[in-house]
Amino acid sequence: MTGRTLVLGMGNPILSDDGFGLVVIEKLREQEIPDGVHVTGSEVAGLRLLELMRGHDKVVIVDALCSGSRSPGDIVRFSGDDFKGGHRYMAAHSLGIRTVLDLGEKLGYDMPSEVVAYAVEAADVETFAEELSPPVAAAVDEVIDLVRREIGG
Amino acid sequence: MKKVSIDPITRLEGHGKIEIFVDDNGEVANVYFQIPELRGFERFCVGRPVEELARITPRICGVCPEAHHMAAAKAIDACYGAEPTRTGKMLREILYNAFSAGDHTTHFFVLAAPDFVVGPMADPAERNILGVVAKVGPELGGEVIKMRAWSHELIEIIGGRSVHPVSTVPGGVSKPLNDEEAARVREIADYQVEFAQVAIKVFNDVVLANSAYVDLIMSDMYAHKTYYMGMVDENNHINVYDGDIRVVDPDGKEFVKFAPKDYLDHITERVEPYSYLVYPYLTGVGWKGFVDGKDSGVYRAAPLARVNAADGMATPLAQAEYERMFETLGGKPVHATLATHWARLVELLYMAERTQQLANDPDVTSPDIHSQPTGITGEGVGVVEAPRGTLYHHYKTDDKGIVTACNLIVGTTNNNAAISMSLKKAAQGLIKPGGEITEGLLNEVEMAFRAYDPCFGCATHTLFGEMPLEVAVRDRNSGEVLNTVKRFV
Repeated sequence: MTGRTLVLGMGNPILSDDGFGLVVIEKLREQEIPDGVHVTGSEVAGLRLLELMRGHDKVVIVDALCSGSRSPGDIVRFSGDDFKGGHRYMAAHSLGIRTVLDLGEKLGYDMPSEVVAYAVEAADVETFAEELSPPVAAAVDEVIDLVRREIGG
Repeated sequence: MKKVSIDPITRLEGHGKIEIFVDDNGEVANVYFQIPELRGFERFCVGRPVEELARITPRICGVCPEAHHMAAAKAIDACYGAEPTRTGKMLREILYNAFSAGDHTTHFFVLAAPDFVVGPMADPAERNILGVVAKVGPELGGEVIKMRAWSHELIEIIGGRSVHPVSTVPGGVSKPLNDEEAARVREIADYQVEFAQVAIKVFNDVVLANSAYVDLIMSDMYAHKTYYMGMVDENNHINVYDGDIRVVDPDGKEFVKFAPKDYLDHITERVEPYSYLVYPYLTGVGWKGFVDGKDSGVYRAAPLARVNAADGMATPLAQAEYERMFETLGGKPVHATLATHWARLVELLYMAERTQQLANDPDVTSPDIHSQPTGITGEGVGVVEAPRGTLYHHYKTDDKGIVTACNLIVGTTNNNAAISMSLKKAAQGLIKPGGEITEGLLNEVEMAFRAYDPCFGCATHTLFGEMPLEVAVRDRNSGEVLNTVKRFV
C-alpha cells in the first residue's frame, strides 16, 4: 500500500437502497482501518468527485446500482476499462468517473492510478426511507469484506 | 385524442422517458415526458419536528441542496413566527449567493459550454467538459474548479459544512463571523466578481462572436411566448434569497406581484390523467393547454424568466451586462430559451457582487445573529430562487411544531409545461410522416431538455453511462409503439 487510499461511499441516505454506500462506510468506520486509508462518504457526485479523488493513489467506491439485469442484493465489481463508456456530458452534476479522471489529469491534478467500484443491485431507490431493503441490507457485510481485501486489511 | 395510461410499474428504470404521439398523417400530435417518481416524501416528513426539514429536504436533490436548505429555513422561520435579525439574514444571503454563483459556474462550463464552445454539431466525444478545456485551455479549467472550491469554502465558513449547511436556526444562524473569517469571505467574494467577468468574456469571445451560435440562440425552435416568474426586491431587482414573487406577461408587463405566503392564491398545480407530474399554471389566467400566449396560464422560471420578470439588477456591473444583453437580443422580454445561458452569466455577476456588497457591511461580524422564537404559528411558506427556478416550501405543523403536512414546488416543476411544449416543438420540427427517428432527433430533444437544466439529477442514478433517456414514437389512435430509441446502459 502506498498510504494514499480512499474508500468513498456514495449515495442518498433518504432514498432507501440509494443509501447503501453510506451505510457501508459508516459501518467500516466503526472498525479498525489500516494506516494510510481514508474513509469518507459523499451525497453528491459530479465535479465533487474530482475534489475527493485527487491526492489519492487508489480509490474504492461503494454505491448502489439499478441495472435491472441483476437480482437485488447482487454485488458487482468495476475497475479500469469498465469505466470506459462513462463520459456523461448531458448531466452537469453527474459526470462519470472516466470524465472526472480525464479532466483531473488534463488540469494537472494528482489523480488516482487505480479506481475500483463495488455496486449492489438496488431493489428500490425511489421511495423516501432511511432503511435499506432486506436483500440490499444483507449485502453490507459482504461488501465490507470485499473492500477490506482491496485496501489490504 | 385517445387517452393513454402509463403503467406506473413498468415505466421506471431510473431513466427519463419521452413519448411522442403521431396521428394518421404521421404528424406529431403530442409529446409527454416522464421522469422517475420519488415516492412518499410527505409521508416521510409528517411526524418529524419541523426543524428537521432543513436537513431532510436538501437530500432530495444532490444538485442544489443549499437551495432546499434555505427555503426550508425560511419556512421554518414562519412556522415559529421568528423574523431573522439583520445580521442573521445577511449571513444567510451571503452563503446563498456564494452557492448560487458556484452552481451557475458549474452549469455554464460543464453543461452549456460544450454546446457552444465546442459546437452543437461536434463529435459527442468532444462535446463535454474535456472538449471545453481542450479549446479554452487548462488554465481556465483550473479557474472553474477554483471558483467552485472557494464557493464551497465560503459555504463551510458560514454554514458549517460545504454541501449541506447546518448553521441556520429559526430566526437566523447559529454562528457569527469573526474578523478573520469575514476577511476571507471578502477575499473569496472579490475573486468571484473577477471570475464572473472572465466567464462573460469567454461568452463574448466564443459565443457572441460566432454568428452561427447567435442564430442558434435566437432560433425559433426553442422560443415560447410565456409568462415569466422571478423573485424581486422592493425595486423590482432580482434577489435570489428574499423578496416578493413577480410575474410578467409575454409582452413584459407586470401581471401580478405577491408575497411568498400567498402563492396558493396565484398558482394552481394541474394534474393530467396520464402523468403524476404536476403542471403549475397562473390561476389568474387559467389553463388553456400546453400553448403559448397571453391567454395561457403557462409560465416559466429560472435565469431567463428572472431577468425578464425584473426591471434590472441591484448591482452595477450586473446591471450593465443586463442592459447589454437585452440591447443585443432586441429588447425585453426575450423568449428564446437558449438565451438562458447568457442570463445565467448576468446572474452570476450579480451574485458575486451581492456577496461582495454584504461581506463589506460592518454588521457582518455582529454577534446579533438570531432572534428568539416565542411560539408556534403552525404554518410557514419559504421561497427562494433556486438556480433552476422559484422554489417553494410550505409546511404545516401541530402546536408542538411537529410536521402535519408539507408541499414543495421545486425549480424545474415550474417549467414542466414549458418543457413539454419545447419537446413537442422540437419533435414536430424533426419527425416527418413515416415515423422515422434519427440520432439527430435525440440530440435536438436533449437540447430542449438541457436548456431548462432540469433537476432530474437525483432521479437518474446510474454508475456509468450517458444520461438515461428513452424516446418512443406511438400511434395516437392505438398507442402502438412505432419506433423507439434508447440511450442508457
